[in-house]
Amino acid sequence: MRNAHSDYRRPLALVALLAGALFLGGCYEDAGDVTLYEPGEYKGEPDPLLDDSGTESFNEALRERFAAGQTDR
Amino acid sequence: MARMKFLCDAERCIECNACVTACKNENEVPWGVNRRRVVTLNDGVPGEKSISVACMHCTDAPCAAVCPVDCFYTTDDGIVLHDKDLCIGCGYCFYACPFGAPQYPKQEAFGVRGKMDKCTFCAGGPNDDNSDAEYSKYGANRVAEGKLPACAEMCSTKALLAGDGDMVADIYRERVMRRSGRPQTWGWDKAYGAGV
Repeated sequence: MRNAHSDYRRPLALVALLAGALFLGGCYEDAGDVTLYEPGEYKGEPDPLLDDSGTESFNEALRERFAAGQTDR
Repeated sequence: MARMKFLCDAERCIECNACVTACKNENEVPWGVNRRRVVTLNDGVPGEKSISVACMHCTDAPCAAVCPVDCFYTTDDGIVLHDKDLCIGCGYCFYACPFGAPQYPKQEAFGVRGKMDKCTFCAGGPNDDNSDAEYSKYGANRVAEGKLPACAEMCSTKALLAGDGDMVADIYRERVMRRSGRPQTWGWDKAYGAGV
C-alpha cells in the first residue's frame, strides 16, 4: 500500500524545484551586455549627428543661423 | 571647418539669468542641476562683472582625458559630448574641469552621484536625433535642426555668443574696437589654448 503523503509530496517537490530554478534564473546576467573598456576607445553608441557635423551644408546652415540671430544690430 | 565656441562678453552681461532659464527650459534639466550659471566677479563692488559659465567644449578637453571609461567623444565641429550609458558617475571629470561644468543629479549614501550631466551645446547625445531617449537623457538637439544653443539665442544683450569660433571672434573684436576697451575673452585661453 502506498503512503498517501508521498502522493502529493512528489509534485510539490517538482513545483518547488521549478520555482527555485526560475528564481535563480532571474539572477542570470548576460555577460554579452558588459562593455569592456579599452584605453582611448569610445565604445558607446555612434551619434547620428556625427554624420552631418563637419559637412559644408551643415556648417553653412549654422553660420546663417548665427548671422540671423546673434550678430549686433 | 567650423569650430563651435561659447563666448561671454562680460561688458554686456547684465546678470539676468535668462540663459540659465532658457537652458533649463529647453533641456528639462532636473532639479539641482545647472548646466549653465551666471557668476558675478567682485559682487557688490563698483565695476562688478558677470559672466555666464557652462561647458566650454574645450579643444583638448580635460574631462575626456581623465574619464576612466572613455565615455566622451567630440564632433567634427568641436562639441564635446558624452554617453550616459557608459558613464559610471565617478566624478573625475568634475575634478578635472576648470569651469565646474559636469553636474550630478543625485547625492545619496556611499557617494552615489548618478550619471554626469553637462551642457551639450544643445546637440543632444548619441541616441537618434530628437528621439524621446535622447531628450530624456541629454535634452534638446537643436544643432541637428540647424539651430544654435538656446542660452545664446535667448540672450537679450547678446552678451553670450555661441557658434562658429571665427564669427564669434569677429563680432567680439568689432565690439572691443568700437568701445576702445581691452579684450577679455574669459575662459578662452583655458578652453581653446593660448593662441586664441
